[in-house]
This record gives sequence, structure tokens and C-alpha cells, in this order.
Amino acid sequence: MIRSLRWRLQLWHALLLWAVLTVFGGMVYFLQWQTRLQQIDVELDRTAEVLASRVRRLMPPPPFGRPPFDGPRSVTAGNTAIEAVDANDRSPPAQTPGERAPGPREGEHRPPWDRPRFPGDRRPPGPPDPQGEGRPPHRPPYHDLHGPPPPRHAGENPPWGIPMWIDDIVRRFREPGGPSSDAPGLELPEEFAELFDGPPDRRMHFLIWDRDGKVLEKSASAPDLPYPGLHFGNNELPVRLIRQREHWREIVLAGRFDTNVLVGRSLQHDVVMLHRFGGILTLAAVGVLGVGLVGGWWFTGRAIRPLAAMTRTAESISVQSLSQRIDVAETDSELGQLAVVLNRTFDRLQASFERQVRFTGDASHELRTPVAVMLAQIELSLSRPRSEQDYRDAMGTCLRASQRMKSLIESLLVLARLDAGAAELVVESISLDQLINEVVELIAPLAEQRRITIAMDLLPVTVMGDRQRLSQVVTNLLTNAVRYNKEEGRIDVVLRDEADSAVVTIHDTGIGIAPEHLPHIFDRFYRVDPARSRSEGSSGLGLAICQSLVAAHHGILSATSTLGEGTTMELRLPKSSTTVVSH
Amino acid sequence: MRILVVEDEPDLQRVVAAALREADYAVDTADDGEEGLYKAQTWDYDAIVLDVMLPKRDGWSLLAALREAKTTPVLMLTARDAVNDRVRGLDLGADDYLVKPFELSELTARLRALIRRSKGQPRPVIDIGEVRIDTASKSVTIRGVPVALTAKEYSLLEILTLHRGVLVTRTMIYDHLFDENDESLSNLVDVYVSNIRRKLGHDLITTRRGHGYIIED
Repeated sequence: MIRSLRWRLQLWHALLLWAVLTVFGGMVYFLQWQTRLQQIDVELDRTAEVLASRVRRLMPPPPFGRPPFDGPRSVTAGNTAIEAVDANDRSPPAQTPGERAPGPREGEHRPPWDRPRFPGDRRPPGPPDPQGEGRPPHRPPYHDLHGPPPPRHAGENPPWGIPMWIDDIVRRFREPGGPSSDAPGLELPEEFAELFDGPPDRRMHFLIWDRDGKVLEKSASAPDLPYPGLHFGNNELPVRLIRQREHWREIVLAGRFDTNVLVGRSLQHDVVMLHRFGGILTLAAVGVLGVGLVGGWWFTGRAIRPLAAMTRTAESISVQSLSQRIDVAETDSELGQLAVVLNRTFDRLQASFERQVRFTGDASHELRTPVAVMLAQIELSLSRPRSEQDYRDAMGTCLRASQRMKSLIESLLVLARLDAGAAELVVESISLDQLINEVVELIAPLAEQRRITIAMDLLPVTVMGDRQRLSQVVTNLLTNAVRYNKEEGRIDVVLRDEADSAVVTIHDTGIGIAPEHLPHIFDRFYRVDPARSRSEGSSGLGLAICQSLVAAHHGILSATSTLGEGTTMELRLPKSSTTVVSH
Repeated sequence: MRILVVEDEPDLQRVVAAALREADYAVDTADDGEEGLYKAQTWDYDAIVLDVMLPKRDGWSLLAALREAKTTPVLMLTARDAVNDRVRGLDLGADDYLVKPFELSELTARLRALIRRSKGQPRPVIDIGEVRIDTASKSVTIRGVPVALTAKEYSLLEILTLHRGVLVTRTMIYDHLFDENDESLSNLVDVYVSNIRRKLGHDLITTRRGHGYIIED
């Protein structure tokens, strides 16, 4: 069952289908997730940009003449700073307006270039030395060029006259639309605010901090997690960083200004949706697999149906129904061609079988008559006491019948050997003209009885062959020429020497052979006149044996005849020895 | 009883004819189909043994021609035992079929049965008054006592018995008793009849003077 073609096809079909579905399903699943992430990223990006632009609008520009960046800040330092700030800001984000955020402590809000840039920086704090190496020249603050500076609280001006803008911004963040109405808050549009206000598994959060790592603002939805690694790399270049932490997707815009924005979003909901999508995909794949397998089963069944039909027909072909053939519907298809080939084989088998049956029937038929004679004669003789003469006559009858059976059996044996290619030809060089002369001498008395003259025109030709067998062939042909000749007829025997063959023609002036019989005269047991030839002792095998013998010599035996005028037999034997093969 | 044997194999023809003669039949022979048909149409044989393979006219054609005029029982002999050969022969009107080689005893038994059936006498034993005739063993008893009859006497009695109730002419009797080569005189029939009367009683066979003889049913 499992080894049947149909099952094997089905198995391979299933494996292939499964592999294809797995690969494509996996790709679709992966692409879906990537697309979703991209969508989220775009969303986060847009939000971050909006936030950043809002913050920028709020922000006073940083003072000109920042010191050149001289090396990345220590990650550890940055982290520590942020975490420290975070720890300070764990208070509930909704603060009552007017309540001041804890003010900057003395010395903490120095300009960045004044702060220690690395552990062990021994530069004394203080205003930059305008003439110092690598320091940009002092320039008027941004406010001097672009309108009045924002109001500031007394005593908060740094010693070098730069406004404490960081603090200012912090204040503004903390008090959006608060009492300092002169300062615009971080006014987010309604629909924008909604982004941060959804269910916790899909809402966004944001975080804004300064270049020192101090958190300036964060949304209420921001997860209560440390934010490590918020370093900005090269401050000269804007940094846009997308990262994923646990189930949060975050985008960090840093390094453009002194405020950095992080917008994140929980992926929990998307993961759930992705899993759901995966489930649907799996169900669809199972469905496709099922449909594919059922369809494949049906299809293979359809494809091998002609095979099954052919098997049935071939099985049912037996001795009784040899004429059955496979129904050839589509001769163009491979199966149709197979059917055609098989049918041809069956044709040959049937012809061969019928020939065999006919041969066996004919042979047994030929044996039946002498056996019937013997049986009847012996039964009659034994039925009562007989005279000695009666017994002698009976013995004579039995002897004739036995001799007939013997010659028939010998002929059959010769044919069987020739058929099997087992006839042993003793190949030697034969002078064909001499051989014909000998045979004609043997036949002469028979011919004289009927006053038939035999004329010979023989060229000396030598062929390779079996002397006895060739002699048998010529004897048989000449005997026929005498037997079927008219009284006082004539036989012409001609031996010609052609390019590569010796040709013997034996022409008689006999009764001839009718055209309808001519194609069959070499068939076994074929008799033009069954009764006549049988009474003359012919078995109907003579010419068949002749032809088989000539074929064993790779020669050709053919006949032409005109009814009532005579028959010409032509025997063509190859001269070169290489073409004669001893069996 | 007179039988025609049509067979072209001379040895077989001779043996079969000899065997049938020994079984007290009058036997004619023919060597080919034309001769066989001529004889079969000329004489009223009690049965014909016909070979299929014959020169000039084969057995089937002979049978077909014969059946146009005669209902003589025909037993066909053939060397072919293919079923369709047998069917063809029987369809053409052969009454029985025998495949070569055959046993002589079977041939004679089949011929006896054929002849009996053709005379409307399926039983082998016929009772006429006190006389009982067994056609199988060719023996006659009167009141249970066996009576010795010669072959010709028995044949004559059998002819009359098988045609009982019907007038049998002297010519008919002569044709059935003697074969074509027999030069016997027709008044031998009267001699045989008187012999039978002597052995089985005078009442058995009635003489219709100038016509022939009859056994009253």
C-alpha cells in the first residue's frame, strides 16, 4: 500500500507542500512583524519629531561658542547622572502649578564646558578664558540678538551673564501653561496627547532630558524603568537611535540640541496581534495543506487511472482472450505511447502464439492419420485369428504408417532445431555446381519415369556451407520440380555467379502455383492441394525446411510461378565465408 | 446394412472397410469427394463414414450437397479435433463425429447407434411376438432360446425388423445386403427369407407377392 506509486507521490507532495508553506508562512510572518515595527517606528519618529520641535520652540538656543567636543562622555557618567535625576524625579508628575521644582543646587548648573569632562579633570571651574587655547571667543547670547531674554529670577544668573536657560526650561515643562504665562508650555495637541493616554499595552510614552542626562519631562505613561545608555555620542552630529527594550520600542533623538527626546511605545498589543496573525496563518496553511493533499490524492488517482486500466487489461489477456487490447485514448501522452507499445507487443505475442497453436495443430493432425491407420489395423488383426498372409499385410500397413510418422518427426525435429538456432551446420567450402550434378544424378531415375528432361547450365561457383543441408535443399527443390511437372516436361537448372552470391534457378514446366497460394508455399504444413500431396507422401514441411536451411546459410529462397505454365525457384547463397555463421 | 466409406488414405480406407465387412455390413468405398458424393446420391446407404480432408471435394462440401437430397446418417472422421470443426460438421448435417485416431469398436458401435436411430428405433433390443432381436450383439432368440442365423440372414431380418409395418421391396433388400462388388443373384433374397422362416417360424415374415416382404407391426 505505502509502496504504491500513488502513496509515494502523495508523500512527496505533502513534504513539498509542507516545506513551501513553512518557508512562505515564516516569511509572511516575519515581514508582517517587520512592517508593523516600521509603522511603529514611523509613528514614533513623527511623534518624536513633533515633540522635539515643540521642545526646540520652547528652548533658548544654547550659547554660542560651545567648547569643542573632546571625547565621548563616559557612559557610566551619563547613566549615573540620569539615574540620579530619575531617582530625584520619582515624585508624581502632576505637580501643582506654582510649586517650584527643586532648584538647581549651587555649582550644579554650570555650563557644560565647565563641568569636569572626565574623572580627574583638574581644570578650575570658572568662566572660560576667552584667550584660552581652542576656546571660541565669547559671543553675545542668543537673546541679545533675537529679542529680549526671557525673564529670569534674580540671583540665578550665572556669573558670566548667561541665563540659566536649563532651569528655565525645566520650569516651563513643569508648569505647562502655568503661572509664568509669558513662557509657552509644552502644549501638545489633543490628539497628540491621546497617544500617551491609551491602554498600557499600546500607548506611547516620551522622555525629555538634557545633555547632562537630567530628565526634564516624561509622560505619565513612561514605564518605571531605568533608562540606561542615554549617551549622545558625538554632540556635533544628530543621533537618531531606534532600540527595543523588553517589550518597548523606543526612538531616541539626541545630539541636536541640548534637549533629547525619547519616544517609546509598548509592543505588547502588537505581539498579541502578531501571535493572532500567526495563528490565522497557521490555520490557513493547514487549510491549504489539506486542500492540497486532497487535491493531490484526487489528481494522482486521476493520473494513474489509465495505468490501473492497463493493468486490468494486461491481466485479463490470457490464452482465451489474446485479442484483447488496451484502450488507447490519448496516443500523444506518455501513457498512450506505453499503451501503443504494449499493444504492439501483444500483437506479436498473439501472432506468435497463434502460429505456435497452428503449428502444433498441424503437426498433431499429420500424426493422427498414420496413428489411426495403425490403431485400426492392429485392432482389426487382433479381433480374431487370421491367416499368415493377413498378418503380413497388417504388418506392411503398420510399417508404412510408422515410416510416415518417422519422416514427419524428423522433419519436425529439423524445424525445431532450426527455429532454436541449434542446427549444427558443418561449414566447408562447397563446389555448388558439383553438388547440383550429384543431386541431379540421384533424381534422374524419378524424372525418367515421367519422361522429364533435366537441362543444366552450371558455372563453377564455390560457396561456404553445409554440404549435406544444401544437398537436401536442392534435392527437395528438384523433387518438387519433378513431382509437379507434366509428363514429358522439362526442368532447367541454372547456376549463375553474381557479384557476391551464387544463384541457382530451377525452372519447371509443371502445373504452377496459383497466385493466392504463392505467398504461403513456404508456410509449414501448407499444401496447395492437401489430398494430392498427402497421398504422394508429402508432409507439407519440405519447403518450410528448405527455407529455414537457406536462412541458416544467410541465403534467400524465393518462388515465382505462372499457373499452368510452371514454377521457378530461386536459391541465392552468399559467396563470402564471413556471412555464413555456424550455429 | 450397407455402408459407404469415403476416405482418401488408402491404408485407412482398406482397414475400415475390412473391419465393417467383418461386422457383417456391406461396404462400398470411395477415394475422393466427387466419387463419394456420386455414390451417396446414387444408393440408399444405411450410413456413410466420411473423412473431412478429401481430394477434389472436401467432406463438408460433400455433406452439404448430400443433405439437399438425402437424410442418410453421416459419421464424420477427421484428424482435427478443434471444437469449431466439430460444430461446423454437425451444423452441416453430420449425425456423429469421430476424431482420428479412433478405435474400431467405437466406430462400429457409433454406426450401429446411428442406423438404429435413423430407423426410429432407439432401443437396441426389438421384440416381435416371441422373437427378440438384439441389434447390439446381433443375436436372435425365440422364447429365450438362441437361434443361429448367418450374417446375411440376420441382416435381412434386421432390415425387415427396422422397417416393420412397411413393405420392403426385393431391390431394397438386395441393395442393403450386398455391396457394389457383389455379383450375387437377387433370388438369394428368397433363399434367405425361407431360411429365416425355417428357423423362426412361418408367420414372422409375410410375402407380398410381386412386391416384396413385410414384418407386420
